[in-house]
Amino acid sequence: MENYTLARGVQDFFNALTLGSLYALIALGYTMVYGIIRLINFAHGEIFMLGAFFAFYAMLFTPLPWAVALLVTVLVGGVVLGVLRAVLSASSGSRQIILGAVIFIGSFLLLTFRAVGWVEALLISMLLTAVAGVLLEAIAYRPLRGAPRESMLITAIAASFFLQNVGQLIFGPRIQGFTVETSLNQVLTLNIGGDTVYFTGILLLVPAITAVLLFILNRFITQSRLGKAMRATAQDAEVAQMMGVNVNQIISLTFLIGATLAAAAGVMYALRFGQVHPLMGLLPGIKAFTAAVIGGIGSLPGAVLGGLVLGFIEIYVVSLFPALTAYRDVFAFVLLILILLFRPSGLIGEDLTEKV
Amino acid sequence: MRKALLLVAATLAVGSLASAQIKIGVNLELSGRFAAIGQETLNGIKVAHAQLPEVLGQQVELSICDNETTREGSIACAQRFVNEGVVAVLGAISSSMSIPAAEVLQDAGIIMISTSSTNPQTTQIGDFIFRMAYTDDFQGVVAARYAVQDLGAQRIAIFRQIDDDYSFGLAEFFDQEARRLGARTLIQDFVSNTVDFTAQLNNIRAFNPDVIYYSGFCAEGAPFMKQLREQGFNQQVLGADASDDPQCPNGAGKAFDGYLFTGFAAPELIPNPEAKARAEAFREALFEMFPNSSFSGFALAGADSYNVVIEAIKRAGTTDVKAVRDALANLENFPGVSGDVTYKGTDGTPADRTIGFYQYKFNDDGSWERVALFGRSTR
Repeated sequence: MENYTLARGVQDFFNALTLGSLYALIALGYTMVYGIIRLINFAHGEIFMLGAFFAFYAMLFTPLPWAVALLVTVLVGGVVLGVLRAVLSASSGSRQIILGAVIFIGSFLLLTFRAVGWVEALLISMLLTAVAGVLLEAIAYRPLRGAPRESMLITAIAASFFLQNVGQLIFGPRIQGFTVETSLNQVLTLNIGGDTVYFTGILLLVPAITAVLLFILNRFITQSRLGKAMRATAQDAEVAQMMGVNVNQIISLTFLIGATLAAAAGVMYALRFGQVHPLMGLLPGIKAFTAAVIGGIGSLPGAVLGGLVLGFIEIYVVSLFPALTAYRDVFAFVLLILILLFRPSGLIGEDLTEKV
Repeated sequence: MRKALLLVAATLAVGSLASAQIKIGVNLELSGRFAAIGQETLNGIKVAHAQLPEVLGQQVELSICDNETTREGSIACAQRFVNEGVVAVLGAISSSMSIPAAEVLQDAGIIMISTSSTNPQTTQIGDFIFRMAYTDDFQGVVAARYAVQDLGAQRIAIFRQIDDDYSFGLAEFFDQEARRLGARTLIQDFVSNTVDFTAQLNNIRAFNPDVIYYSGFCAEGAPFMKQLREQGFNQQVLGADASDDPQCPNGAGKAFDGYLFTGFAAPELIPNPEAKARAEAFREALFEMFPNSSFSGFALAGADSYNVVIEAIKRAGTTDVKAVRDALANLENFPGVSGDVTYKGTDGTPADRTIGFYQYKFNDDGSWERVALFGRSTR
């Protein structure tokens, strides 16, 4: 402890912020879905895993031969358009066609002409994972709308196992390296009080991207018409429907946004820790769920706060009490139990009757 | 027509009687964390099986079970083999999966040969349990001597996976020997599936180690090495046989450049020239059957676990498990592909094993190779 310098504190702060941001991004998906349909979507960790793999393969297999790229873009374009049609209102047809055409031509050119870098891979993965999230909802959860909540919960667990096993079949059970040669991996140093702090671009980039995504999400929820409809659905789906909100659309949209954020988290997680494998969603998924509950499930700021709290606990427990390293996960779960006992609505969650 | 059919059926029945099969169980980590090593070990066993497909005039059938790199899976595999009534079980790879399976199989009176468990406890579970590897009291001591005496380390940071029998035990043996030789040590713990090592790494900064010993696996090793280099540590890292896996360098790229580790002896490190020639011939046979397989001591250990069982059945002249076990326990200087195997007078650990020192070296184009440096023998 006498060795705990200022530089060490700064170093730990950055590491904790990065880890916490990743948890926060995943936790947002849990909390949004819970807010809208009161479902703990246990398959969210697997959506996160898919996000990492889509980026992995986008970088591995590009550039594609033009015929393959054409096929892929037609397929992807079709599904994206279908999802857009389901999610956005039908009235904006011309906008959809323009958007679809831009995505189609853009991805075709991208896939044929060069190997994609991690930024393009991140965007491609967010797009594909969004589609996967919407499909998951349409296939696994929509048929159960109106069924008892336990049925949905069990379906969510089944979907999680299903995706893990399909992942092992398709991607292979091995851990694969996700090493990107980018200047962001360069070791940078900073001098604080005579001691050196070491970091990389990725370390700073993760919280930055998280902040940008959060800002966009917040603007969307509070300012846009669809955001307003989302809030209305969260408060009372039946009344919202009576007021002309297409509830199915809003639920699809929620899954779309949650999956997009999970994909961003998945790609950044892979960039930061350098590997992808089909079971990689398991632990971050549970941690992010814990984060969502600690912050107050259903609350967006709560998810972010919960994620950060978890990240900071994990780093500082090891750093301040090295003898307790083996128990780092235990601290997070003990906090979860305490929160559930004494403040079941979470740190900044509102009363349980309120949502989102 | 009917007669002909009957004749065919009768021939088939007689045929299946004549080729009564001997079943050998294979309990391996074919998915999950250790899948890469598991696949290589399985390839080794399959090549050995192809070379010696029958004994006592009976076909040998392999019953392969994937334990998914979980203790529960390993116990389930062991129970399946008890029900199937196999003579012997080959595997598991790691100590954490081998020990629970060994407890089941010892109780059932079935022979088990762990291909690469190195925790001393494994073979002490009972007289039916054998292994093909050396033990960690040897591996840890050899590595500590190398770190202190050859690399001249005075301060060594040790990273161990606290929830794994192998990693924890190995770190203990290393730590004891390093301190006995006068080095100072600092131990840092982590648990399986850890990806963020930044806090542990910063814990060793003030200690300023000369050498870092990593007794864990590649799943955690890749993020560990990546963050180690990213956090400005340039010290020599020394690992153990769990690092002998193509997953390691693939998982973190150039962070593994220069990484040293101990492992099963590769053919070129086996001192006995005849054993060396056998190992090299086996390597060719393996690549002929599985051109894309990785190859290391794991494949050799897998093959020999099969070979010694067949040899013991041959010597016993029966598939009676007790007789086969006795033949195995009296095996002396069996010419295996991983070196000579002697179980006579041991607890089920071969008397003479060679441990190899290796290093991962990266080329400018990002490709890498595993360079065999030298071997040290238990004898």
